[in-house]
Amino acid sequence: MAAAAGEIVLKDATRAFSVRADRGGTLKELLLGRRAAGPAPIRALDGVSLSITPGETVGIVGRNGAGKSSTLRVLAGIIPLDAGRVEAGGNVVGLLELGAGFGRDFSGRENILLNGALHGLDKPAIEAVMDAIIDFSELGSFIDVPVKTYSSGMFVRLGFAIAAHLAADTLLIDEVLAVGDEAFQRKCEARIAAAVAGGVTLVLVSHDASLVERTCERVVVLDGGRVHFDGPAAEGMAFYHRSMGTPVGASA
Amino acid sequence: MTGAACALMRVIWTFEHTPPSWWSEARQWLAMADFLRFRFLFEQMIRRELRQKYQGSALGLAWYVVNPLVLMGAYYLMFGVVFDVASEDDYPLFLMVGLVVWMFFSQSLLGAAPSLLDQGSLIRKARFPRETIPAAVVSVQMVTFCAVLALVGIVTVAFRGTASLALGLLPLVLAATYAFTLGLALAVSVLHAYFRDVAPILSAALLPWFFLSPIFFRPDRIIEEPAARFVLEWVNPVAPFIEAVRAILYSGVAPSLATLAYVVIAAAVALVAGRALFARLQGELAVVV
Repeated sequence: MAAAAGEIVLKDATRAFSVRADRGGTLKELLLGRRAAGPAPIRALDGVSLSITPGETVGIVGRNGAGKSSTLRVLAGIIPLDAGRVEAGGNVVGLLELGAGFGRDFSGRENILLNGALHGLDKPAIEAVMDAIIDFSELGSFIDVPVKTYSSGMFVRLGFAIAAHLAADTLLIDEVLAVGDEAFQRKCEARIAAAVAGGVTLVLVSHDASLVERTCERVVVLDGGRVHFDGPAAEGMAFYHRSMGTPVGASA
Repeated sequence: MTGAACALMRVIWTFEHTPPSWWSEARQWLAMADFLRFRFLFEQMIRRELRQKYQGSALGLAWYVVNPLVLMGAYYLMFGVVFDVASEDDYPLFLMVGLVVWMFFSQSLLGAAPSLLDQGSLIRKARFPRETIPAAVVSVQMVTFCAVLALVGIVTVAFRGTASLALGLLPLVLAATYAFTLGLALAVSVLHAYFRDVAPILSAALLPWFFLSPIFFRPDRIIEEPAARFVLEWVNPVAPFIEAVRAILYSGVAPSLATLAYVVIAAAVALVAGRALFARLQGELAVVV
């Protein structure tokens, strides 16, 4: 059952989402014991199987709505599967949205505590990396100012700096690096590369083809919730470009 | 205030760290282990809850105490002076002791109901024990409750001369009140995430419930019929909690054994049921909020 630290196993993972406004259903429907008619659920993941060994770097690409983000959220343990199996060993750190859960009235420093706590760290563990995080974020004296006064770039820098210092076995990154300025993006990439060199598993979702090619040795192409390609990055990206270049189906 | 809330939880956690064996089994079942790992998160959530509410206001945290006091003054004016239904000695004290308990209960539930939706961005993007969100709401209310109760309690005991050994039972009753409310708050919050009618239903229900609770009156003073009295005294689950606190502070006697047993059992049932319901429904929270 237990996957090794940094290992990821996804077996026949299937997950559908209702696309109605009231996803949970209303009390009225519960009491009447039936569901009002509405659009059918969308299958975001449709039998996805992936086996990622510790230290591997995997890029997930695909058109909008292909199931990339859903895959990451399943791997992060945020949403459960309808069917199939997911195992992710060790400490999985998701950068699904930088600065998610920041308290806007809190200073950067307080948000570091809050965010570390969200990842299950205790106070001494967070304070041990506090200075490194502040340093990395390049926020300087802004670290003691409420984050609602931050620019979006500062916000993202702090978010990444925190996630980068969380001692992950697996990093899940969802299209979040595009926001900082170029210098900071390079710094983030360097940080990720260093983590990978240190044996961290990386799963990256991005539309930035060159970023995927630079950071990932393996590419998974998703479409309609299914794996269409799984293999070396160069071939995978070629496959991806081909499939995006050709108008596939009338629904596209 | 944050410190007090954290201290309160520390007591509970200490209990969990050096637990009797039946408790560790129960804890396993309640998945408290996850909660333990995230206890620092819980502190941070409380801090956040406190901060976000009254950030930038001149009185700041004092609003937590001012609001209940103003409300109590208003009710006293209404029922103690204008309508003068006072049938008890020192009616303002009689009323306030009951009112404090009710306000903790109702404010906790009203605050907890939308709490998961309010923190939706967090729930959708990070993995952490979701119960910390409603639990932080209730814990913040608990600290307010203790602060206001301390004020009201000291005045009541001093004025009525009701200092007695019964005061030793107060921590037990307060802990039971906390557990009872926490259990209901967990249930209400997770239900509201799925069914958005829950919070409106709750706030509609709380008003008549308030007037049917023995806050302004003693059931045995206003009603003769045994069945109706039984309903007011025992079917309403909040009534024994109010009665217990009032017996200790206002009357200076220990609550009856029946009341104490009721309070402890109701707390245990509410907490276990609330946690079970939450555990059952929380899987889909990232999708529904």
